[in-house]
Amino acid sequence: MASYDDSESDDDNFNPAPADVSDDENMDDAPPSGGGGRKPSPPSSPAAGHDDGDEDDSRPAKPAGKRPFKSVADDDEDEDAEEDEEEVEQRNDDEEEEDEEDEDDDIQQGRRRKRRKDQRAAFFDIEAEVDDEDEGEDDEKDGEEIEDFIDNAHPDDIADSGRMNDDRRHRELDRRREMESSLDAEKQAEILRERYGKRAPARGLRDSTVVPRRLLLPSVEDPSIWAVRCKEGKEREVVFSIIRRVEERLGTKNELPIISAFERGGTNSVMKGYIYVEARRQNDIMIALDGILNVYPRSKMILVEIKDMPDLLRVTKTPNLEPGAWVRLKRPPKYAGDLAQVVDVTENGLEARVRYIPRLDYGVREDQSMLSADGKRKRPGAPGPRPPQRLFSEAEARKRNPRNLAGNPQTNSWTYVGEEFENGFQVKDIKIQLLEVKDVNPSLEEVTKFASGSEDGTENLDLKALAASLKDNSTVAYLPGDVIEVYEGEQRGVVGKATNVQGDIVTLMVSEGELRGQTIEVPNKGLRKRFRPGDHVKVIGGSRFRDEVGMVVKIDEDRVTLLADQNHNEITVFSKDLREASDIGGQGSLGQYSLLDLVQLDPTTVGCIVKVDRESMVVLDQNGDTRSVMPTQITNKLPKRNMAVAADRSGSEIRHDDVVREYGGQQRQGKIIHIHRSYIFLHSHATAENAGVFVTRASNVNTIAAKGGRVTGANSGPDLSSMNPAMKRNPTANNNMQPPKSFGRDPAMGQTVTVKKGSYKGLLGIVKDTTDTHARVELHTKSKIIAIPKSDLSFRDKVTGRPIDISRRGGFGGGAGRGGFSSSGAGDWSGGGRTPMASGGGERTPAWGKSASTARTPAWSRNADTSGARTPAWGDGSRTVNPYDGNRTAYGGATSYGGGSRTPAWSSGAKTPAHDGFGHGSKTPAYGGGGGDAWGSKTPAYGVSAPTPGASGNDSWYTPGASGSGAYNAPTPGIGLGAPTPAALDAPTPGAYSAPTPAPISAPTPGAWQGGGWGADSAPTPAVGAPTPGASGGYYSAPTPAAYAAETPGASGPRYTDDD
Amino acid sequence: MSENYAAPNQQRYLRACMVCSIVMTLARFRDEGCPNCEEFLHLQGSPDQIDSCTSQVFEGLITVAHPSKSWVAKWQRIDKYVRGVYATKVSGQLPDDVRATIEEELGQVYIPRDGTVTDADQ
Repeated sequence: MASYDDSESDDDNFNPAPADVSDDENMDDAPPSGGGGRKPSPPSSPAAGHDDGDEDDSRPAKPAGKRPFKSVADDDEDEDAEEDEEEVEQRNDDEEEEDEEDEDDDIQQGRRRKRRKDQRAAFFDIEAEVDDEDEGEDDEKDGEEIEDFIDNAHPDDIADSGRMNDDRRHRELDRRREMESSLDAEKQAEILRERYGKRAPARGLRDSTVVPRRLLLPSVEDPSIWAVRCKEGKEREVVFSIIRRVEERLGTKNELPIISAFERGGTNSVMKGYIYVEARRQNDIMIALDGILNVYPRSKMILVEIKDMPDLLRVTKTPNLEPGAWVRLKRPPKYAGDLAQVVDVTENGLEARVRYIPRLDYGVREDQSMLSADGKRKRPGAPGPRPPQRLFSEAEARKRNPRNLAGNPQTNSWTYVGEEFENGFQVKDIKIQLLEVKDVNPSLEEVTKFASGSEDGTENLDLKALAASLKDNSTVAYLPGDVIEVYEGEQRGVVGKATNVQGDIVTLMVSEGELRGQTIEVPNKGLRKRFRPGDHVKVIGGSRFRDEVGMVVKIDEDRVTLLADQNHNEITVFSKDLREASDIGGQGSLGQYSLLDLVQLDPTTVGCIVKVDRESMVVLDQNGDTRSVMPTQITNKLPKRNMAVAADRSGSEIRHDDVVREYGGQQRQGKIIHIHRSYIFLHSHATAENAGVFVTRASNVNTIAAKGGRVTGANSGPDLSSMNPAMKRNPTANNNMQPPKSFGRDPAMGQTVTVKKGSYKGLLGIVKDTTDTHARVELHTKSKIIAIPKSDLSFRDKVTGRPIDISRRGGFGGGAGRGGFSSSGAGDWSGGGRTPMASGGGERTPAWGKSASTARTPAWSRNADTSGARTPAWGDGSRTVNPYDGNRTAYGGATSYGGGSRTPAWSSGAKTPAHDGFGHGSKTPAYGGGGGDAWGSKTPAYGVSAPTPGASGNDSWYTPGASGSGAYNAPTPGIGLGAPTPAALDAPTPGAYSAPTPAPISAPTPGAWQGGGWGADSAPTPAVGAPTPGASGGYYSAPTPAAYAAETPGASGPRYTDDD
Repeated sequence: MSENYAAPNQQRYLRACMVCSIVMTLARFRDEGCPNCEEFLHLQGSPDQIDSCTSQVFEGLITVAHPSKSWVAKWQRIDKYVRGVYATKVSGQLPDDVRATIEEELGQVYIPRDGTVTDADQ
C-alpha cells in the first residue's frame, strides 16, 4: 500500500496523467534525469521496508565503486544481482511485503518500486533515515503530501489552496484506482507487460526467457507470414536489401509496413528460393518488396498457415564434430570432396583441425602455372588437372623444392610451402563451414588410405570412429531371417536370427550360447549381421560393390571379404552391406534380357549380354567391344536358333554348344553360345573377363569337340583340300587361303569411270593404273591423276556413258563354276566381296535389268534378287529361315572370304560333289541326284540357294561332266585363276554348255555371270578388250547362241522354265 | 541510414552474436559492439572477445523491422532487441566464463542459438 502511493507520487512528478508504470519507464529510459528527478522524493521512501532501508544504508558506495562508468540502470541491475546473491532472506521479506501490497496492486509494480527505491536509497543515505522517521505515518497520506510539495511548482497549484488541491487529488486517485481494478485482469496484465516490455531492451535477457516457447505459439492475433519467391541463392541479399529499405524509409511517410522478413536458404535447404515476410496484409508486402532485386512479390505468394509458422524457424543442431570423425573438404577446389579426418576441434566448435591426403605435385607444374600465356598471373586454384592423392613425400619435396621444406624427421612432421604435414598427411585448421559434416559416407577404400598411413604399416584404422560416422547416416536395415550378432551392450556375443523388426528394436531368436532358444529384443544399435565363411552373400547398400554376389571367405570384425561370383575378385565390405543371397552368379536378368542373351543393338550390331546391373547391362558386341547399354537401347532380343550352323576354319560344321578354339591369336577356347552370321560368341570358364564371353569369327576357330559326338567335318569324309591337286600344288594357298588374286591385266585398266564418292564424286576419268584396292584415275576435267579406291568407282561405257560391268566380259568362259571366284575376284578390285558394282551393278545395267526382269522366271528373278543382294547385305538376305541357313551364313562368310580368308561354306559348297556342297541344306534326294534333274527339281528354297555362286557353279560344272576342272576351279580360286584359262573355259563348247542342262547354266546367277567376268579377269580375253555393251552383247549372242541364250536371262528364262 | 545493411561484398565478414544472434559485420562489432549484449560481452574494440562470442557460422537471416510487433521476433526471443538483422541459428559455443557471467552474475538465462535447445525443451 505504502509503496503504491509512493509511486503514485512519483508519477505525478514526471507525468501527471499515466499510471505508475510509466514512471518506471521514465526512469529507465532516462536514468540520469530520473535520478535527478527523484532527488526530492526520497523522503517518501519510507515505503521501503525496514530491511531494505538498512540494506541500502550498508550498500551505497559499493556498486559505484565497482563500476563507476556504468549507467544507473546498470547499477540497478547489479544491485539486483547482489540482492539475489547476498540477501536472499531479506528478499524474501520483501516479497512478503510485496505480497501484501499485491492485494491492492500488481506485483510488478511493487517490485519495480522497490528497486527504484533501493536505488534512491543507495544514493541518499540521509533519506533512508527519513524513511525510518516517516514509517509511522500513513503512507498514502504522506505520499500525497510529498506530491503536493513537488507540484507546487505548477502555477495552478500555486494558485489553489493546498488543501483543496489535496482533496481533488485524492478523489482523482480513488477514481483511477477504481477504474483500474475494474479492468479485466488479463487486460491489465497486457497493458503492464506492454509498458514493461518497452524498457526491456536495455535490460538484456532476463525477461526474454521467462515465457516458454509453447506459450509463444502464434495465434490469429499475430501477423501473417507469406512465402515470397526469390532467386535461389540470393536469399541473404534480399533480406539485407529489405533491412536497408526499412531503415531508409524509417520515419518517413512511406515507412515499410512489413514487420519482419527472413530466409532459410542454403544449398541443401528445402526452403530455398523463398523468403518469408511477416506482415499484417499481403498488400504490405507488395509495397515493401516492390523493386527489390531478386525477389518476386508479384508471383504467387503463399500464406503460411499458423500451425506451420514455428516450423519455418525450426533450428536443428549441427552435430558436434568429434576428433576422429570423418568429414569432406569443400575448399580449396583441389581438395573438394576429399575425405578428411578430424584431429581436433576448437573450443567454440567453429574450427577443426583435420588431416587429409595431400594432392601435391611438388612444383612440377608450378612454372607454367604461375604465369599464363598472356603474362598474367593465373589465379591460384584455377581449374586444371589435380594431382592425385598421395601421402607427403619428404624426399620428393626435398628434391624439387628444398627451400620450402622445413621439418623434423623424427616426428615426421614437415612444413612445405606453408602447409603442415604429419606422417604424410596434410594437417590444417579449417573452419567448419568449409567442411561437409553431414552425409559423409566414407567408403572403405577411402578410409583404408588413412589407415595405412602409419609408417610401420600397421593398421591404425579407428573402426569406432568410422562406424560412428557410418552409422550416423545409414541405419542398417535388418530383415527377418538375417542372422545377427550383438556386439555391444549387455547381450554382447549373442547370435540369433531376426524374427521381427520393429523400428529400432530387433527381435532375435537366439541360436547359440546360453540363451539358445530364447527370444530377446535388442536395439538396432549394437547389432551387426553375422556371416560365416562359405556363405553366399549379396552386397546391398551403399558400397560401390553393390549387387555383387559372392562367397564369404574371410570375416574380420564387421568387415567381410567375399569372392565375387562374376569376376572372382575379392571384395571387402561391411557386414551391414551384405545379405544372404539366394541367387547365384550375380543378377540374372533385367526385364526380358538376361545374362548371355544375344541382343540386337542396331541393324548391324549384335551383342551378347555379359553383365546385368540394376538398370543397365554390359554387352559384348560382335566386334569384341563392351558397352554399357540401357534396356531401352536394345532393339530386340535375338532368339537362340538352335539350328544355326556355321563352318569352322576347316569347313566343319559347328553348332551351338560345340567347343572350339581360336586359330591363332590367343587361342582361346570356349563353348559356342551364339552364332550370328560369321561371328560366334563363345563362353569360357577360363577367363573372367566379360563373364567369360568372347567373340570371334566362325572362320577363325577349329572344332575341338562337337556336341553329342556329332561327326565333324574335320574327321569325316575325305579331306577335300588334300584331294585338290591345285591345292597340293600350292600348299601355302591351301593353308592360308589367300584371297584370290587376279592375274594379268586388271580389267579396270583403261576403263572410263566416274567417281562415286568423295570430293571427286561425279567426275569422269580413265583408270591409268590399279592396285588390288585402288585405282589411279586420270580425270577428264583436269589433268590430274588421283588414287581412289576401286569401290568408289563406277565403270562407264566410253561412248554412251552408261554404267557397265567390266567383270562381265568374257563371262562365258568363266561359266557357272567361276561364279564364286569371280565374285571374289571382283571383290579384289571393287573392294570386298560381292560389291554392288560387280554384281548389283552388273545386274542393274539397263540391258541386264531389262532382260532379267522381262525374261526371268520367278525362280530366276528370285535368284537374281538374292544374288543382287549378295553385297554384304546379301548375308542379311540369307538369313531367311530355310535349310540352307547354315550355308548362307557361311556365305556371309564368303564375303569375308573375298577379304582373304577361305570360307568354309564356300569350300563346302564347291569342294564336294555337289550334294555335299550343299551339305546340310541341300540334301534333297533330287539334288543328290545332281545334274539337270537336280535343277529341275529345285524347290523354291533350292532356288534361293542356287545363287550362291559356289553352289551353282559347282552344279553347272558337274552336270556337264566337265566337273573335273570345274570342281577344282570352284573351291580354290587360286587354282581357278591359273588353270581355267579362257581357252579352257571356252573349251566347253557353247553347245556343251547349253547342252548339259540349260538350267544349270542359267542357274548361274549374277554371281555366275560375274564368274564370266572373272574369267575375263584371269584371261583378258577379247571380251575384256571389248567392253562396249554392243561388243559384249555381240559376243554373247554371237559365239554360242545356245549357250548364251542360256546365260542371258532372256534366253535362259524360257529354257529354265522349260526345264522346270 | 541503413546501418544494418551489409553489401554482398561485405557479407563474408558477417558475424552473428552468439547471445542475441544479431548479424553484423566484424567491423561494426569492433566499432560499436553488440547493440543488445554490449553491457556484458564488451565486444567493442576487442577482437578477441568478438572472436569468441560471435560466430561466422550462422544461417537463416531475419530482418526485424519492428521487433515488438513481430511474432517471428517473439518466437526467436529477440523481440526485446533492437531493429536489425538476426540469424535463426548461430553455430558455436559461447565461452564458459562468458556464459557463467551472463547466467550467474546477471541472473539471465542464456539461450543457445545453435539449435541445442529445441522447442520441446522450452
